[in-house]
Amino acid sequence: MDISIIIESLPTLLNATLMTIFLAVVSILIALLLGFFTALARISKIKLLDAIASLYVSIFRGTPLLVQIFVIYYGLPQVNIELDPIPSGILALSLNAGAYLSESFRASILSVDKGQMEASVSLGMTYWQALRRIILPQSLRIAIPTMSNSFIVLIKDTSLISVITVTELLQMSSLLIAKTFEPLTIYLLAAALYWIIITVFSVMLDRLEKRTSQHIAL
Amino acid sequence: MSIIQLTNLKKKFGTNEVLQGIDLTVNKSEVVVLMGPSGSGKSTLLRCLTFLEEPTEGVIQIGQQEVAAGEKTSRKRKNEIKELRKRTGFVFQQFNLFPHKTAIENVMEGPIVVQGVEREEARKLAKSLLEKVGLGERCDHYPSQLSGGQQQRVAIARALSMKPMVMLYDEPTSALDPELVREVLQVMKDLAQEGMTMVVVTHEMNFAKEVADRVIFMDGGVIVEEGTSEEIFNCPKEERTKRFLMRVKEE
Repeated sequence: MDISIIIESLPTLLNATLMTIFLAVVSILIALLLGFFTALARISKIKLLDAIASLYVSIFRGTPLLVQIFVIYYGLPQVNIELDPIPSGILALSLNAGAYLSESFRASILSVDKGQMEASVSLGMTYWQALRRIILPQSLRIAIPTMSNSFIVLIKDTSLISVITVTELLQMSSLLIAKTFEPLTIYLLAAALYWIIITVFSVMLDRLEKRTSQHIAL
Repeated sequence: MSIIQLTNLKKKFGTNEVLQGIDLTVNKSEVVVLMGPSGSGKSTLLRCLTFLEEPTEGVIQIGQQEVAAGEKTSRKRKNEIKELRKRTGFVFQQFNLFPHKTAIENVMEGPIVVQGVEREEARKLAKSLLEKVGLGERCDHYPSQLSGGQQQRVAIARALSMKPMVMLYDEPTSALDPELVREVLQVMKDLAQEGMTMVVVTHEMNFAKEVADRVIFMDGGVIVEEGTSEEIFNCPKEERTKRFLMRVKEE
């Protein structure tokens, strides 16, 4: 292993790491919204909404992420929907993570004691007022650990976007290897960078979890 | 003047008829205690009153608002049920306080969300209600920081925040450690003395003796007998009532 290779590659790899973080953060934000509304659709009494949401979840949990990426990036142009690599990647990652998140949101909504809904409507609240003011704030806190987990999985999944030429961390590593012929050094460096981002985010999310779950009886 | 009027109230769970046609009138400022063995339908009766359980048949009237059972849900009906609920304060066995809100926020929630009261005004009202139940010092505590008895008193204050015409209590002391029962009963007694109309499902005989204007004994989904606490406890007429009272006294 040549130390000078590490020093030379590091700035480029750090730049690519920023791209990885960008992809992960944007995708998780969209996935959170998507998962949240999908969960609401799943618990809704309107059968059609529930059916559409179930189908979405089933498709995106039941097929490999890599296939989803290919369909979006290589497949959709055939029906004249052409997306650049980065939007394609973000779309695939958010649709995929949104499907998983919706399931954990749904479970966390259902896990709130039904006495909470009864107490809310007994005060004269409507179903939606109770959901918004009483049930959701509690279920979101319950869901924080699974949200954190989804985010960490998502960070790792961004590496799959390298196959559609987005120069995130893994793709950049491969490009560097083509120049330096040092696969072991560069891939280990990339692995170390993934490990660092994930560890930092894990610690941050742990703190958030501790702060918010204080007054929730589980 | 009657506050609650039930006509032929029935509730079936599948083929099991839990309430078999209950007629009941509760007058203003009256305190009615519902007693009976578990499974007698007393909690179901209370829950049907505000449509926490949808009754199978019958008519429920609270104040001027009347709602018939078993009709199709419509916006109009939902509003009528909401009106019923606004007129009643419901106190649960398990308190059901909102764990993510402080004591005072629990009490402010109804007025703010349902009645659109200004935050500051709601806070003043909530503060006075918490003082009334002896928890003026605990406004900013979360439910998890309060004892069971304190939580139930917050729950009573929360129910009072909507200025109900009648308070409904579903075994309010059953989930409490024995030494915490008294403080909750005391708050309920004070309310009764102020003239609050109340329907209480409870096994607390002493409370019934001291506070109840009328004791109703239920078994198997029907009202077996009713009368003043003296009549029911000292000279029950029905065999089922006698057996139940024997069992309760043994405990």
